[in-house]
Amino acid sequence: MRYPLLPALLMLLPAPADANAYRAQGKPVRVARTMTVTPPRDWNQLSARPGRKAEVWTLDGERLNAVTWFGGIAPGEPLLREPRRRRTLPRYSDAMLLAEIPELLESTYRSAGGIADFTLTTAASDPFLGHAGIRFGYAYVDADDLPRRGEARAAIVAGLLYIVTFDAPRTDYFDRLLGDVHRLTDSAAL
Amino acid sequence: MGTGLATRLTIMLLAPALTLAPASPAAARQRSAQKTGFTLPAGSGRTILLIRPSIRVGARSTGGMFEPNGDWTDQARRNIETALAAQQQALGNRVIPAPIADGDAARLVADYAALFAAVSQSVIRYQFFAGDRLPTKKRATQAGRFDWTLGPGIARLPGARDADYALFLSTSDAYGSTGRKLLQIVAMLGPGIPLSAGEHAGYAGLVDLRTGDLLWLNADRAMGGDLRTPEGAARRVQQLLADFPGSTPAPR
Repeated sequence: MRYPLLPALLMLLPAPADANAYRAQGKPVRVARTMTVTPPRDWNQLSARPGRKAEVWTLDGERLNAVTWFGGIAPGEPLLREPRRRRTLPRYSDAMLLAEIPELLESTYRSAGGIADFTLTTAASDPFLGHAGIRFGYAYVDADDLPRRGEARAAIVAGLLYIVTFDAPRTDYFDRLLGDVHRLTDSAAL
Repeated sequence: MGTGLATRLTIMLLAPALTLAPASPAAARQRSAQKTGFTLPAGSGRTILLIRPSIRVGARSTGGMFEPNGDWTDQARRNIETALAAQQQALGNRVIPAPIADGDAARLVADYAALFAAVSQSVIRYQFFAGDRLPTKKRATQAGRFDWTLGPGIARLPGARDADYALFLSTSDAYGSTGRKLLQIVAMLGPGIPLSAGEHAGYAGLVDLRTGDLLWLNADRAMGGDLRTPEGAARRVQQLLADFPGSTPAPR
């Protein structure tokens, strides 16, 4: 049985010793070991990580809403964890322009999740982390046949890639939580 | 791929959430919950809209991949619908089938069926399984809130105007292939790894058609009953609707 991308990645990991963490409103916290965020509302950080330099925040579980922070991806690295013997994920390259980051995320989703139905819907320049950045939207259908929408923000700082993605079912969840996610990602700083 | 999670959840669906009523005082593990304060007595005059069940039946290959089987799924659907019709009277309130939809309306129904399954899986993992409980959910539970919803947009479902609640049923069954069963034996005898041959998950949930809030849920990743037979489907439906609010308990 094929599982949705993020739940599948998280369930492949051994059960972490730590419980899911509480990210309290107004309390600054380090995310993905590189950025600082001051959450405007309470969130949860999942103890399982989909990548060495990534972490997931959620309100109701990753199937219903997932904010995934990727911090300081170096050239040659993929966004997500992959088996050592099966290195098939696309890699970030320092030759990439910001405008090419949506394609990197799309090919990562297609490779890691086997997602055939993926569409980039919007893309525009938009500062992130106080640097030149890009904001783009996308839509896809994952293995659970639940249509999802996503929005991502990215910046390249000193040759390292920083991305935050928000994924949620297009039915109810995406639109309802997008404002909260904007306020959360607006608070991110290096 | 899902063996780890399914096995872990089966073992760990134990601790009842603080303000959720367990399905039965004698239940050894939590697989059912009801929103605090929600009641639906038998004969309340309320109407329940029965959404067409979502049914998926197939085989699990040696490598653990799901291989859908159209014949089994058709058999299972016929058997489930027959069993539902037989047990509908015991639900205690008026039940009406959702109208047959096509085009955009059919897509909307499919989206909500998939969303219901995703919400159910989240409740199992992050509410029923105490080891993975989300801190914000723990706080909500302590404050007496059962915070799970499909959203108010559910009022757009075909037939929603004529009912108070929607009843969703979802099953996913993967029967282990011969190779998978052999691998299960080898894994247990060799490295001692418990490997599931198949998966038999089922979710039944009652949703408020005004708010989209989940009012009652019965969900388990390890259900009984072979849906390919009428007897098995009857057993599954009985399990899915066990402790349905206002229902008459089925004879055990």
